[in-house]
Amino acid sequence: MRIRALGFALGFAIILSCSSAALAQTKQLSEPLAAPAAFDPHDLSGVWFDDHPRLIRVQERYWAYTYTKEEPSMTPWAQAQFNAAKPSFGPHPYPLAQTTDPLYHTCAPIGFPIAFLYPLPMQIVQSPREVIMLFEWDSLRHQIFTDGRAHDTALGPLWMGDSIGHWEGDTLVADTVNFNDKTWLDRMGHPHSEALHVVERIRRIDHDHLVDDITMEDPKAYTKPWTAQLKFILKPKWTIEEQFCEDEQSFQSIDKDAGAPAK
Amino acid sequence: MQRDLIGIALAFTISLILSSTASAQMKKLSETATAPAPFDPHDLSGVWMLDRPRPSKEVDRYWIYELNLEEPPMTAWGEAQYKATKSSFGTRSYPLAETNDPIFHTCTPPGFPRIFLHPWPMQVVQAPGEVIMLFEYDSIRHQIFTDGRQHDTSLGPLWMGDSIGHWEGDTLVADTVNFNDKTWLDRVGHPHSDKLHVIERIRRINHDHLIDDITIDDPKAYTKPWSAHLDFLLRPKWTLAEQFCEDQDTFQNIENDETKPAK
Repeated sequence: MRIRALGFALGFAIILSCSSAALAQTKQLSEPLAAPAAFDPHDLSGVWFDDHPRLIRVQERYWAYTYTKEEPSMTPWAQAQFNAAKPSFGPHPYPLAQTTDPLYHTCAPIGFPIAFLYPLPMQIVQSPREVIMLFEWDSLRHQIFTDGRAHDTALGPLWMGDSIGHWEGDTLVADTVNFNDKTWLDRMGHPHSEALHVVERIRRIDHDHLVDDITMEDPKAYTKPWTAQLKFILKPKWTIEEQFCEDEQSFQSIDKDAGAPAK
Repeated sequence: MQRDLIGIALAFTISLILSSTASAQMKKLSETATAPAPFDPHDLSGVWMLDRPRPSKEVDRYWIYELNLEEPPMTAWGEAQYKATKSSFGTRSYPLAETNDPIFHTCTPPGFPRIFLHPWPMQVVQAPGEVIMLFEYDSIRHQIFTDGRQHDTSLGPLWMGDSIGHWEGDTLVADTVNFNDKTWLDRVGHPHSDKLHVIERIRRINHDHLIDDITIDDPKAYTKPWSAHLDFLLRPKWTLAEQFCEDQDTFQNIENDETKPAK
């Protein structure tokens, strides 16, 4: 418990250095000072939702369409792909009729890790041999085998990749390869090739918070690994619902919601 | 344990009455006569595969395509819908180019309970308050809430319906409503309306076998409720692979495999 409390404090120290709002948050936290809820750091199960501040202008919510505020360092090949992409979302959106987003019109699986960027919850379920993330969006699964198996090179290329993981202390380290190149890496149209390799360091930092430090490596598309931290908050009363891409109307209303000002 | 053994004995007695091959099976079983593996009847987790005999004559292989060998009692509306369908499977099979099967060409979700009839495994995972079936095919899930909630009438209409369940002894009784009418009930084109109501009685009868007794109730399409019995076999070494409808090549290869005579 002590080590975890330290980690929690450290987490806040990092946020403090990043965010101007953190000072106020720290103050609020120190007031009620209730004992933190107990949790098992190896139990990631529950319904999780993106945990970024909502009281911020829509245009600044980069996490709704990409991983970092900073542009990744693209190769000429990737830059050409990116310039040709016409996203319907993000800072330079095209009308739906003109977008080249592979998701629209065909409802192809969005792939991984872009599934994290859709503003819908994700549920983690665990069994002794695996940790499974179930995304509300399009019923997608990110299934991480933790039973010591190696990557299965006979599979794929796959839309969601082939994922294996192991625990390093309280961190689940997941390694995903064997992707196809039919999906975008984010909702702005950053590309990836079949050489994409994603490493996640997933940790439940306290009862209500999960972080996923993600490294995307793809030498064909990026000159260096692209790293980001995804943050999730537990939603104990939520359930994941049915949200298939085929329900075009729901789809469009979701995009409208995502672009609407925070309530 | 005692009660489980009685249950198993009873199940075998019933199968004895129903199946002409059962006596041969009983004989084989009594020969090996080892102690049955222990199991918790409320733990349905694991990878399961539909377990039906594979007759060598293609036309006899109703089990791939339909819930039941007998023709269900259709209403005039149901009959008209059924006649208009052009399935690419079963006795009335049309070439792929002519089929109006809603999952071909558009890759819409197959819906429920049709999903059981696609020849790929299903994994059950359980979390407090829910039992989730994850289907290999198209990453579909059938999420049954067992936490005492009611149907949520604000949802849908849904492709997979809205499912709640409760345990009656060792049987999980699942109740699913709130369907859309865009899917077929099976792979040969039996229809359903948005009045479809599906009741499942799911029971792990021993360590390796799961049964799902399904009742179909849809007064618009059928003159009376009718039922089907699905058997599943545990596949401890299997895992779900990625199998999206969008991989048209893969899809067609598998259909070819499936229509080959049994080995």
